[in-house]
Amino acid sequence: MGKAATKGRDKNGAIPEGSPLASRSSHDGLNKPEAGPSIHTSLKHDYTSAPDEALVKWSQGGDTEAFEQLVFRHRDKIYARAMIMMRNEEEALDLSQEAWVKAWQRLHQFQGESSFATWMTRIVINLCLDQIRRQKKIRAESIEQLDEEAGGVERQMPVEHTNPTEGLEKDELRKRIDEAMGKLTESHRTVLVLHEFQGLEYKEIAKKVGISIGTVMSRLFYARRRMASLLRGLQRERTEE
Amino acid sequence: MTQTNMKLEQALEVQALLDGQLEAGRKAEVERLVQDDAGAAALVAELQSVSHALRTHESPLAVPDSREFYWSQIQRRIAAEEVVRDRSRSSGSILGWIRWLAPALGVAAVAAILAMRGGSPTTLADSSVMTFRSDADAITIHWLN
Repeated sequence: MGKAATKGRDKNGAIPEGSPLASRSSHDGLNKPEAGPSIHTSLKHDYTSAPDEALVKWSQGGDTEAFEQLVFRHRDKIYARAMIMMRNEEEALDLSQEAWVKAWQRLHQFQGESSFATWMTRIVINLCLDQIRRQKKIRAESIEQLDEEAGGVERQMPVEHTNPTEGLEKDELRKRIDEAMGKLTESHRTVLVLHEFQGLEYKEIAKKVGISIGTVMSRLFYARRRMASLLRGLQRERTEE
Repeated sequence: MTQTNMKLEQALEVQALLDGQLEAGRKAEVERLVQDDAGAAALVAELQSVSHALRTHESPLAVPDSREFYWSQIQRRIAAEEVVRDRSRSSGSILGWIRWLAPALGVAAVAAILAMRGGSPTTLADSSVMTFRSDADAITIHWLN
């Protein structure tokens, strides 16, 4: 799966000769979502200033230019969400593209109950979870990771009365958070992302990941304490400098 | 304010209180713990600051490819999946026809064989024919006696 996105890379973005899309414009190259007939939209919309709702509606009618605009608007956020889950650029890129393909195919299911961006992040998160499950089947987690699963040392660590993020510059904090996220195990990171970024409740996370609510709570607790510990480490480094 | 060594269960309840996920029956007691115990209060502050930092400092990553290239990759994948879907649809419809035609062809074949063997008009009613048909496996079997 990871190779599909990078095969035959053409940095100019040109569609090669012989491709089903080669003889068509980007405007009418794809079938309407849910296998309808090809749509040849003759009306020109102002895509750049149109709200997401309008772009979704036009996309649902088979307008690929409107869909391209949606991709352009939200691609970074979708990619960033995949990246924070997978910690691997190639996989994140592949899964983010896969999410857009799925979105195109399922556009008819989007009824606007949430924002388009929220709907899209749900799709990419689900794809990431599927990928993580597949990978877990292939490789067992190391003993160190299993130790972390049980809570490691942070669980017994005394609570400090200092704010772990105090005095950190915005960019420094972002960098440190990113590093710290990379130091968590997949299982802890997943729960943390689903709760903090996706805003899911414990029971929703439990259902999505296939674990008990108690495990969600302990993984979340451990992940947050570990994050606090890593951020404090930076504070101390700064004080010593 | 005192400070006790909290048990893990208590710490998880403090966290649940912070997340608004604590069951109503436990809320008053855990709130009292946070109010009276310095350790519990410090834990709330720590969890809150981490949570706030995560929500407000998500890494602003950008797709490393150009807009055109990224979009062209998505177009290719959509087109490829549509080709696969169209193929499976057309092969599915052929299979559907075969599934319905198979019994009729089977009966016709039996009738033809019987006609050739007997040299005289023979109807299926004169013979003992047993038929087994499985839609799931798309097969029809005829036994002739």
